[in-house]
Amino acid sequence: MNRKTKPGVRVLQYAILILAAIFAFYPLWFAILASGRGGSRLYTLSLPGMFLPVEWTFENYRAMLFDQPFLTWLGNSVKVASLTTIASLIVCTSAAFAVSRFRFRGREPFLIFLLAISTFPGILSLVAIAQLLTAIGLYGKHLGLVLAYTTGTLVFCTWNLKGYFDTIPIDLEESAMLDGCGPLQAFLLVALPLARPALAVTAILAFLSGWGDFIFAGVLVPAPDSMKLAVPALYRLANSVAVPWGYFAAGAVIVIIPTVLVFLLAQRYFESGLTIGGVKG
Amino acid sequence: MVTWKGSRKTLTVLLFLLPTLIGILIFNVYPIVLNSYISLTNRNKFRPNPDCSAGLNGVLDPLCWPGFADKAPKGLGSPYKLETPIYKNYADLMGKLFTGESMLALGKILLVFVPLVIANSLNRRFDRMMSRPVSSWLVWIGGVIAVVLVALLVNLGNALDLLMRTGDFLVVVGRTILFVALRVPLTFFLGLILALILNSPNLPGKTFFRVILFIPWGASSVAILVALIWQFIFRDQGVINQLLSAAFGINGPVWLNNPYYAFGVVVLADIWFSYPFFMVSILGALQSIPPDQYEAAEMDGASWWQQLGNITLPLIRPAILPATVLTSITAFQMFGTAFAITAGGPQTGANSPGYTEFVMLYAYRQIFQLSNYGKATAFAVIIFLLLFAATLLSLRVTRITKGAYE
Repeated sequence: MNRKTKPGVRVLQYAILILAAIFAFYPLWFAILASGRGGSRLYTLSLPGMFLPVEWTFENYRAMLFDQPFLTWLGNSVKVASLTTIASLIVCTSAAFAVSRFRFRGREPFLIFLLAISTFPGILSLVAIAQLLTAIGLYGKHLGLVLAYTTGTLVFCTWNLKGYFDTIPIDLEESAMLDGCGPLQAFLLVALPLARPALAVTAILAFLSGWGDFIFAGVLVPAPDSMKLAVPALYRLANSVAVPWGYFAAGAVIVIIPTVLVFLLAQRYFESGLTIGGVKG
Repeated sequence: MVTWKGSRKTLTVLLFLLPTLIGILIFNVYPIVLNSYISLTNRNKFRPNPDCSAGLNGVLDPLCWPGFADKAPKGLGSPYKLETPIYKNYADLMGKLFTGESMLALGKILLVFVPLVIANSLNRRFDRMMSRPVSSWLVWIGGVIAVVLVALLVNLGNALDLLMRTGDFLVVVGRTILFVALRVPLTFFLGLILALILNSPNLPGKTFFRVILFIPWGASSVAILVALIWQFIFRDQGVINQLLSAAFGINGPVWLNNPYYAFGVVVLADIWFSYPFFMVSILGALQSIPPDQYEAAEMDGASWWQQLGNITLPLIRPAILPATVLTSITAFQMFGTAFAITAGGPQTGANSPGYTEFVMLYAYRQIFQLSNYGKATAFAVIIFLLLFAATLLSLRVTRITKGAYE
């Protein structure tokens, strides 16, 4: 397909691309527009108003940041998602290392078992998890949520990292061991630094599994307001009659934009297929 | 290979795996066991508390464990116990599926697909011949015509109706399968078209479009919030209806109250979330096709369509098949998009599932809104078995675990 593209084809290509780009970007653009409109002016009856910021006020943002406990929610989300990331990386890295570097009996069954277990949908195990957490006194606490999220990430995280460790030649570790390293040291000092891209992507996915979750957070930490996480709290806000939708839009923009930016920064990793185990599409 | 031998190696491996194993056993395996057990009991809103001396309750239900018994909820009825017969929840869920009449209807529906299977095998046989007697398009068209004829012959609509009246299970699973059958191919085509365009050489602005078109993938990790925005766009007074009235003077429909429109909106929003994954996978596969293949085809005078059908599609197939299977399984479990946009509605009646109440929404409503634990867990077990079988099958088809055995 190296020949010169005909002008007609080019025009068609751009027409499709532009339509697709509008489709891709409009929902977020709409949220940004709505977040800048006053509460009573949420519905605009002018055609340009639906696409361009013909009016703009920071009132919704001010209200979200100072009148609503939105900053607390954000803080809770960041705290829970960060703890989840750290816990899940520590646990999975060691498991992935063992599976990638040692040949032991039960290795293949273990890997298949992980995949099989992950087909049990999270929503359905929530009742049992809620009961368990109540039994050990962690229901309604952030730590309980971190436990639930961390175990939820174990499968894709282990598979992801194992796949990447497999691509790092073992010779490097072996030569380190000839120089007097133990296997553990060789792993920590040689293999781990080489696996940085995979670790970064796995960390991002683990963080987002806590950051964007709705069901677990809503069920396991239902109250009080000061304990809630951003996403379930915003969901309640959007469906509450007493609060203008513009508040929700402002909160949603604050949550969504950084998430999208992180993805765009990591885009080349996602495009390189580093994350086949973590696919949510 | 790391050289450790004997008991020292066993101990090391065990230590490395222990945290993962413990986590999986407590938070994945135990819930499955408890779920399966509860699905055999009559636990519900009025009977949330177990009779700790009966059956396996004392061992399995945390409500019976020491230090927890005092926090147990008090039910209005007597404590829950095993159902009689023990499979009662499953029987209720499957309804009248296992009667002769329903099985006949199921057989009729399967019969409709037979011509397609025949067409496929005919095509394979023709492909092996030196020169095809009939082109593959003709065979497929013949197959489709036969499908329509068979459907008319067995009165397909009637058979479907009959099956839909056998109980919640088939209704919910059937609608979910319809959702997957719409969503996955449409997503694939959108992804394919965009990837083909983005792959064409010397396209000014390529990077810009790549970034913009990638956005929904990022947004899908906070799916519930973005789905709420989609809901707002399609509300009665939302953007679409305002656009219709401002531009054309039409009073738009109440999108989310109409079963078909609501279904369509959920499909559309979910396509939005998932097409970048396909686009990116296909783009990656396209870039790995050696350009000399096209040059040779060009020399032979192959048209663009012939190149697409004979070079591009067959060569990206190995990369795209796993992606398609994976997305089908995740689409089957879709929750956030429909929950935020329609909450499973529009409803058809107090006790029957709504038009967009897909499997996960059904399970969620049965557990968290109606507290029908027994019924919901029986549903969960059946869905788990389905997904488990589908996953094993897909592993075999796609060989995604190939690396695991080396």
